[in-house]
Amino acid sequence: MSRQIWNLLFGAMLIVGAAWIWLGRVPADGSAAPTGLPPAPAVGHPAPDFTLTTVTGETFTLAALREKPVVLNFWATWCPPCRAELPELQAAHERYAGEVIIVGVNQAEAAAAVATFARQVGLSFLLPLDAQHHVSQKYAVRSLPTTFFIDRDGIIRRIQIGPLTEATLAQALKTIFP
Amino acid sequence: MLPILQIGPLAIPTYPLALLIAFWTALEVAGWAARRAGLDGDHLYNAGLFGVLALIAAGRLAHVIAFWPAYRLQPAEIVGLNPQAFLWGPGAIAGLLVAAWYVQRHRLPWPAVADAAAMAALVGLIIVQAGALLAGADLGAATDLPWAVTLWGVRRHPVPVYTALAATLALAATWWAARRSLRRGTAAAVALFGWGITVWLIEPFRAESATILGGLRLMQVIGWAAALSALWLLRRRTAEE
Repeated sequence: MSRQIWNLLFGAMLIVGAAWIWLGRVPADGSAAPTGLPPAPAVGHPAPDFTLTTVTGETFTLAALREKPVVLNFWATWCPPCRAELPELQAAHERYAGEVIIVGVNQAEAAAAVATFARQVGLSFLLPLDAQHHVSQKYAVRSLPTTFFIDRDGIIRRIQIGPLTEATLAQALKTIFP
Repeated sequence: MLPILQIGPLAIPTYPLALLIAFWTALEVAGWAARRAGLDGDHLYNAGLFGVLALIAAGRLAHVIAFWPAYRLQPAEIVGLNPQAFLWGPGAIAGLLVAAWYVQRHRLPWPAVADAAAMAALVGLIIVQAGALLAGADLGAATDLPWAVTLWGVRRHPVPVYTALAATLALAATWWAARRSLRRGTAAAVALFGWGITVWLIEPFRAESATILGGLRLMQVIGWAAALSALWLLRRRTAEE
């Protein structure tokens, strides 16, 4: 190709490129950002709401925690990686008391067994009981532990499949509690 | 959408599986393309392998440094198998540096290496898009177009399909440039142009993008700059020929 054709091509790319970038920009009011997304267990979507009874017999509704970052952990006592990460969640519960809410949704175990386990391990955060697996199905939980990090607006910002360590928990918390 | 491949009791996440397949396929393609260009294919294979090992090691090291207070209390976690405990940005830089060091140390010709690596990268990119589509990742913006896919209850642009198609075209152009026996490095420039155009064209169809300068999509600007740089390189090569 001749030099003129290359120059023409370069110029066209320069102008058309800049125009497409300008047309594709995200408006300052954020109106191009995904809005009106349905609740779903996916990053960027509102966390599906649910109501369960906790191990202490209280009624727990996720939506009631709006305005607070939430760490929603799915676990069971028979799951070794879950047991390994529970002390980290308890430590975070104590460290961020009132600022970040830790919720441990137990998977279909008897309330008495969960209460005994929680006492032995020293868990004091919210422990709703998902007796019928309804909530884990709603959150498409396929393996334990799975943890959802939900920001103040109720939007899921990170999903961790597998156990948390203190380091990975600290990293994940930055997405909802900078 | 098939985020998990269930084989009996085994649940395999499809996106990480696609990443793994993409990596090994890209290494094979790089080796094959290098042999075709008269290089020792094993060198390309080794450069990629050392690069990935460096990526993993540096990714973990960066995580340890960033979250040292946590690791100080649990030093065993420094070598733990947790796949989340990595910072991929610093890891990628280290991986590229180590691969570059390998190429330099074995005095491999950079333009020929770039040609082979570019073809491998495009093949890898296409495979990764298949994984993204299966996993429902890379969400597209909402649309009512007939070819929209429904993800999480919303009809969206199938961004991974767009990307895979554009990358396939870029791969075909790269292959054409490599076969025409043009000067070494030309195929890499064609691939860079193809990748740049792909990113520049498709980024606005994504549901979310990182932005700069009051709303410009970062990856679109990077793609545009890559395409312009590639055009400049191609112009220079043509002039020299």
